Amino acid sequence: MKSELELRGVQQRFHARGVADGYITAVDDVSFSLAASPPQIISLVGQSGSGKSTIARNVLGLQKPTAGSVLYGGKDIFKLSRAEYDEYRRDVQPVFQDPYAIFNPFYRVDRVLWKAVQKFKLASTRAAGLELIEESLRAVRLEPENVLGRYPHQLSGGQRQRIMLARVHMLRPSFIIADEPVSMLDAQVRRHFLDILLDFQTEHGMTTLFITHDLSTVYYLGGEVMVITKGQIVERGPVSTVMHEPSHPYTKLLLDSIPQPDPDQRWTTRIAVDELERVDDANPADTMKPEAPIL
Amino acid sequence: MTMRILTAVVRTIRNSRRLAAGLIILGVMVLLALFSPLIVNAIGNGKDPIEVAAYEKWLVPGPGHLLGTDQFGRDVFAMVMKALSVSLQIGAIAGIISTVVGVIVAFVAGYKGGWIDGILSTFTGILLVIPTFPLLIALSAYAKNVTLFQVGVMISIFAWPFAAKTIRSQVLSLRTRPYVDLARVSKARDLEIIVTELLPNLLPFIGVGFASSALGAIFGLVGLEVIGLGPGGVVDLGQIIYNAITTGALTLGAWPMFVVPIVLLTLLFAALNMVNIGLEEVYNPRLRGVAGE
Ligand SMILES: Nc1ncnc2c1ncn2[C@@H]1O[C@H](COP(=O)(O)OP(=O)(O)OP(=O)(O)O)[C@@H](O)[C@H]1O
Ligand SMILES: [Mg+2]
Repeated sequence: MKSELELRGVQQRFHARGVADGYITAVDDVSFSLAASPPQIISLVGQSGSGKSTIARNVLGLQKPTAGSVLYGGKDIFKLSRAEYDEYRRDVQPVFQDPYAIFNPFYRVDRVLWKAVQKFKLASTRAAGLELIEESLRAVRLEPENVLGRYPHQLSGGQRQRIMLARVHMLRPSFIIADEPVSMLDAQVRRHFLDILLDFQTEHGMTTLFITHDLSTVYYLGGEVMVITKGQIVERGPVSTVMHEPSHPYTKLLLDSIPQPDPDQRWTTRIAVDELERVDDANPADTMKPEAPIL
Repeated sequence: MTMRILTAVVRTIRNSRRLAAGLIILGVMVLLALFSPLIVNAIGNGKDPIEVAAYEKWLVPGPGHLLGTDQFGRDVFAMVMKALSVSLQIGAIAGIISTVVGVIVAFVAGYKGGWIDGILSTFTGILLVIPTFPLLIALSAYAKNVTLFQVGVMISIFAWPFAAKTIRSQVLSLRTRPYVDLARVSKARDLEIIVTELLPNLLPFIGVGFASSALGAIFGLVGLEVIGLGPGGVVDLGQIIYNAITTGALTLGAWPMFVVPIVLLTLLFAALNMVNIGLEEVYNPRLRGVAGE
């Protein structure tokens, strides 16, 4: 397994209508690197529309950046040889935000696990595959008999999201790209999920890029944090430093916007709306695909 | 996966009475068409009842000839049976061709996007706005002795863009689903994603595409026949109506020649539309139905 994943000057622009120059820059000259060892958790925090998911898609090779490059083991992920590509795929795996949309409603949930077994040749027999699947489900504290053979809508969001973790557990990638994996889970399930991620780090040596808009989860996970706004990373450092001595005004704003549980410190200051205003999220499909011109 | 599709289909039908009713009417008509050779034989009782001068001309409906005979002494009931099967065949041929072409174009355009989509969509758009019927008329003026299959192909040329357009927009909305991304990071190839991730969820829309093009084709041919421009050698329901009109069959008491084909066509129209509406009812705006139990 290659030991480093690096973004070098990544820029991602999208065509957009109704913007000054016809483009929006979702990711603007972003550089950072993730090391496989020692395993670490790096959080990427920023408000909605700041470009977090786009970075995740760039890193996962789902979207080719308009400029700059994503390097895996020092090589551009869009220029890998077959063998290198296979290794990269196995080694960099996602957990996505929406635990429902991640499953094709047409199939039972088992399918995503079997696909992993099949595509990455994790087992040579069906029995061995099943054993692997059951082992991984137990590793994320799911009872195989409660989830296997079910359709996605028959499981809770937490169960579905843990199936994704079981998939990651089976693949043992060096890098997990987790794009707001807990934002749709309630507090208790959320914590459970984060604990599993931390286990993965210590027990299986996985490095996680943890994307979130929620500072309390960043705090819980610890490690390093990068703050992103308007496509640019404006601050980075150990969580405790960034949380206690924020240097960039945006980080301060973000910290100020956390509601305080202390009743004497009620959340009184209003957030300046224009400062937090998101780039308008025109429907991506719309912007990308103009209707067929009628002649 | 085949089992999955079957259960999904059964569940869909259970969920919509309209769909079920449409499919039943359609099923009965298809059965009639399939058995039409037997029925025609039974009517002929040894000879061909739709041969010219098989019987006397203009016999009124009665026990021997349930629907009477026409200007050439052919049994109208036998003719209607045969014509029904021809109409259904043209629907099936054109429906299948247009759906297959439409689906392929839609998937390539919708999934690949970019300039490929640009070209394909422009082309589809042009075909969509071309006035189809006059062109069909012009084409059929050249095509006097064509086979049923060729007529089907001719009509399909104009029918597939409708299927393509509906399905493309669905592909566009489905291809950005997270489960497509998950398939991609699981090393699935484009074709595999299209077939195993997208296609099953698009079955209802493909069904709608098929029903619409079949309907369009059947009525396209009827339209051509009714104005006397149908291709030679093909007797469909429209041809019988055309005969009834030109010979003044109604004034000669041979009303079934006019009424029966129209009733059958109306039923067919209603059935295919019920299938269409039923499918849309079940699957719009959400694809929930497929997700099922
Ligand atoms: N495929 C696309 N086409 C056009 N614009 C896009 C596309 N994907 C993202 N964008 C735009 O890029 C910007 C950044 O989007 P992104 O999804 O990366 O934000 P985010 O930080 O993940 O937000 P959220 O917290 O809401 O998930 C947004 O303005 C969005 O509208
Ligand atoms: Mg996002």
